[in-house]
Amino acid sequence: MKIINLLITEWLKFRKNAVVSLLAIMFLVFMPTAIFIGKEFKNVPPPLPNNSIFFEFPSMWSYLGYVGNWLVFFFIGLMVIFMITQEVGYKTMRQNVINGYTRQDFFLAKLSSVIVLCILATLFYAIIGLSIGYYHTSNADLSFAFDNNWAIPRFFLMTLGYCSLGFFIAFIIKRSGIAIMLYLSYVILIELILRWGLHGKMFGLKNKSINFYPANSFEDLMPNPLFKYAEAIPMNDIDFDFLLTYQEATFTSIIYILIFFSLSYFFFLKKDI
Amino acid sequence: MLALEINHLTKSYGKIKAVNDLNLQIESGSIYGLLGPNGSGKTTTLGMILDIIRQDKGSYQWFEGKYGDNHRKKIGAILETPNFYPYLNATENLEIVDRIKGGNRKNYDDLLELVNLLGRKQSKFRTYSLGMKQRLAIAATLLGDPKVLIFDEPTNGLDPQGIAEVRNVITEVASMGNTVILASHILHEVEKICKHVAIIKNGNLMATGLVGSILSDDITVEVGSDDLDHLVTILSNYSLVGQISRKKNWLECSVPSETSVVDLSKHLMSNAILTNHFVSRKRNLEEEFLEITKE
Repeated sequence: MKIINLLITEWLKFRKNAVVSLLAIMFLVFMPTAIFIGKEFKNVPPPLPNNSIFFEFPSMWSYLGYVGNWLVFFFIGLMVIFMITQEVGYKTMRQNVINGYTRQDFFLAKLSSVIVLCILATLFYAIIGLSIGYYHTSNADLSFAFDNNWAIPRFFLMTLGYCSLGFFIAFIIKRSGIAIMLYLSYVILIELILRWGLHGKMFGLKNKSINFYPANSFEDLMPNPLFKYAEAIPMNDIDFDFLLTYQEATFTSIIYILIFFSLSYFFFLKKDI
Repeated sequence: MLALEINHLTKSYGKIKAVNDLNLQIESGSIYGLLGPNGSGKTTTLGMILDIIRQDKGSYQWFEGKYGDNHRKKIGAILETPNFYPYLNATENLEIVDRIKGGNRKNYDDLLELVNLLGRKQSKFRTYSLGMKQRLAIAATLLGDPKVLIFDEPTNGLDPQGIAEVRNVITEVASMGNTVILASHILHEVEKICKHVAIIKNGNLMATGLVGSILSDDITVEVGSDDLDHLVTILSNYSLVGQISRKKNWLECSVPSETSVVDLSKHLMSNAILTNHFVSRKRNLEEEFLEITKE
């Protein structure tokens, strides 16, 4: 009951927020439209058979998931950052506590909102996926439709992973602009430098530990489907694994998600707001 | 019953001690002024007792622990600036505050009427003037049947009309029987509204008690004559006269009682001083405040 109240209050706070609404709309629009860009590629290069793999069960789950990977990282991640840092900017975070929330209440309100947001994004992925798949797959039945290596739970975990990273950065940095810059640059640039530059130099590029970084773990839950073709190409000089297995990515992501949420919580309890 | 008890509250920012071993007790129903110059530690103190600033040492307890962790739901407070969601209107913002306080109101018109904002209730918060924002914040403090109201520099940045409006609303709110804590550096604001006062300087509690008891019995006398330099010499050599300060056209000095005023007048006459200005009055809180907080 308490969580429902917290969620309703969060909804009242952000239902008319222009930035959060715009990000949500863009995610909802881009998710289905981005996959249809595949329609434009009538002749796909080998080893891809044809462009129908983007739309047919079960391969479409991977392609739609990978599109979702980028969209979640960008739009949902930024939504989470805005939902926290705007409360700091407007000083409503402190006012919420002055008005009667305990710090735990405020944190729980944000955490539960993020989880609901992840569930909704995952539901959208599932609905869009099922719709596109059924429309394009002849004789599709349910077992065929869901022959997807747990793609839907993986999508949820990936979404929660990116959100936990955004959540952590937002609670630590507190300022919208810097938090967004750090979030985007960490995922796109900083982690790559850490992995391929620092880690690679220390332990070697072939060392599998190079893949166990947060953003990479989240990304490997819904990886680029073309990587499986790339791995089939023999490469004598660069002999290393591109991807974590789903099990490895799942386990690593859960650990990072717990770390990010826990650190955010302890930081928020300890610091002035 | 005690509304608030503060014990040895201490907070430092680096080498600067913002609040130093503060002890205070505020009785329920009292109208309490927290007085101090800018940067004296008033807001830090309020921040700590409202759980947005972590104290280094010390403790505080609201309502003798009666409401546990939910004590702030029984407090209405504005700290520094009115803080609301700028893209929401007055009613939507009040609804959020009400829900946080555990309320379930359907209508906020009575509160908006009280603070004279009913006509603008559909306007977004960002379109309000500072005075209107401050008045909406006062309306929000009244949600959830508060037992204590805290106002921190409520007239800061307002024009004279805004100051008068906000002061009227606070006076009205205070008359409803709530405990009111008013932090301000504006002395006549505190003097007009509060019955109790604590004076803070550099994080230290300098004086506390009823406004009447803080005010000493000293009488301030303004004396003017054609030769102020000679007048200074005469007054300085008179034992009943305390501190002397020079104003534009007269001198201001303090004497210990009403009868001393008559003695002073006789002393001036006996020294052949012809006064062109002679006024005696009780010291006000401003003079007392300056006396207590002077270096």
